[in-house]
Amino acid sequence: MRKLLVIDDESDICDFVKNFFQERGYNVFTALNGDEAISLVKREKPEVVLLDVKMKGMDGIAVLKHIKDIDKKIKVIMVTALEDRDKMDEACRLGACEYITKPLALDNLEQAVEKNFKLQL
Amino acid sequence: MKINKKAPTWSKLQDWFVEKLATHNGGISPIQNNEKSVNLPSGIEPLPRSDYQSFLEKASRTMIRFKKPEHLIKMIVKTIDEQLKVTHTAVLLYKEDKRSYILIDSKGSEGLKIPIGFIRLSVDNPLINAFSEKQSYLISETGILRYEDVISSLRNRDILEQQAELYDRLLLIKKQMDLIKANLCVPCYFKRDLLGVLVLGDKISGENFTREEMGFFVTLANDAAMAIANALLIENLQQKIEEIKGLYLREHRIFIHTAIALAAAIDARDPYTHGHTERVTNYCLALARELDGIPEMSGYKNFRETLQIAALLHDIGKIGVPDHILNKHTSLSPEEFEEIKKHSIIGATILNPIRELSDVAREVRHHQECYDGSGYPDGLAGNNIPLIARIIAVADAFDAITTNRPYKKKKSVEDALKELKRCSGSQFDPVIVSAFLLAYEKGNIISNGKSNYSNGNGTSNK
Repeated sequence: MRKLLVIDDESDICDFVKNFFQERGYNVFTALNGDEAISLVKREKPEVVLLDVKMKGMDGIAVLKHIKDIDKKIKVIMVTALEDRDKMDEACRLGACEYITKPLALDNLEQAVEKNFKLQL
Repeated sequence: MKINKKAPTWSKLQDWFVEKLATHNGGISPIQNNEKSVNLPSGIEPLPRSDYQSFLEKASRTMIRFKKPEHLIKMIVKTIDEQLKVTHTAVLLYKEDKRSYILIDSKGSEGLKIPIGFIRLSVDNPLINAFSEKQSYLISETGILRYEDVISSLRNRDILEQQAELYDRLLLIKKQMDLIKANLCVPCYFKRDLLGVLVLGDKISGENFTREEMGFFVTLANDAAMAIANALLIENLQQKIEEIKGLYLREHRIFIHTAIALAAAIDARDPYTHGHTERVTNYCLALARELDGIPEMSGYKNFRETLQIAALLHDIGKIGVPDHILNKHTSLSPEEFEEIKKHSIIGATILNPIRELSDVAREVRHHQECYDGSGYPDGLAGNNIPLIARIIAVADAFDAITTNRPYKKKKSVEDALKELKRCSGSQFDPVIVSAFLLAYEKGNIISNGKSNYSNGNGTSNK
């Protein structure tokens, strides 16, 4: 089953996105912070990760580094509230495959996740 | 039905507002404080059917009194969530800067509550377009877009076979409704502009929404639109006011700096009077603080500003006096003195054509008048001399006495004060002289009298 990890420090967002992708046949895990996320990546080995950039504690860029250290093949989609070009360039260099700006269009989110699972195969 | 999928323009809102003001039957102005009369339906138990209807009616009437549309929208969402038991409720509002409809409030069970600010529908989203189609096949007579209707249209063989384009559009709309799990989409219109969309999920009981319930959604949505439009209008007005204020301040700054530059140009001609204008202006402003509240001030539109500009420009007419007279080391012949005397008239003549400076021109003309009528150019006496001119006269004299001039050495501050007192009532207005003495005692008259003026050390700061 396709495994998706959602990392966001807002539980409403985690719940909503989890529900959204579960209904579309994904096996969804959620993490509210970087530490939770890292242990889930190690244990569940998700193929695709949705990662919020701005989080309390360990931020998205730091989490991205850890994920890529664990497994380079994991596809990471960054979700960001602000159009921070520099941060996104950095995320790109660190191996994030794309980014989505909040507020987002749900069909874009769906497409981005679908596409990255296909790339995995 | 022709609908524009954008927020109303400034001018449209303005027209509407003026129209409402003129007929006195518009919504209650969001400027006024109306909160007291607003009933917030918080913590209310679900009411029996007929009761919640009257409750909603009452709520909808108080709605337009909310100053912030966000509060109103939260109330609508809360009311629907509590009273109607739906899986989720959400409101999308049009945001001009994002050219999209942004989710601004949502309630519902876990996983169905859409996080605030998380999603948007762009203006070309098929769901938004469904409300702006010219011959909208989909929208029921109530104006509501129902998932049920979309599905039954998709099952309609005629559409599938003969209206492929409509069929495709229906598919896209269905997909969008699926994404946000919408059972009903209720448009919020202001005139013909779609300001927002109220999204409702399914009833938890599994029943369909009744006609009555849908009627209420439309009422709520319309009232919300009115409140949003009101708030937008006020926001726009406030923004305009801020813009105008900003422009005024900017222009005003440029203007004052121009006056300062002009004054500096006059000073630069004459090494002896270097810094004179600046000091006189400072003395005048210190004097004004002592005189604050005297009735004559109210005769000026903006006393302090007129005083400042008049003080800066009081000697501008010296531009028309020949250098050899201005800088003469010996005493002046009567003819030469006549030339000097012209400077107050020349100054006024220079400033007169500038409409905004007509007040200032008058003060400049009379700053050499004497209280007893022995001054020039018009020999005005007493309070016939304008107040600012009387103030400048004292400040001007004090600076002339305490600095070196081509024809005489400077005197001490004490001597200057004695001189002012001696001439109080003859050359100067006694009220102004005592104000000057008062300001001096308070340490507000900062002169260069005690320092070595010749190297320019004693000038006060800009």
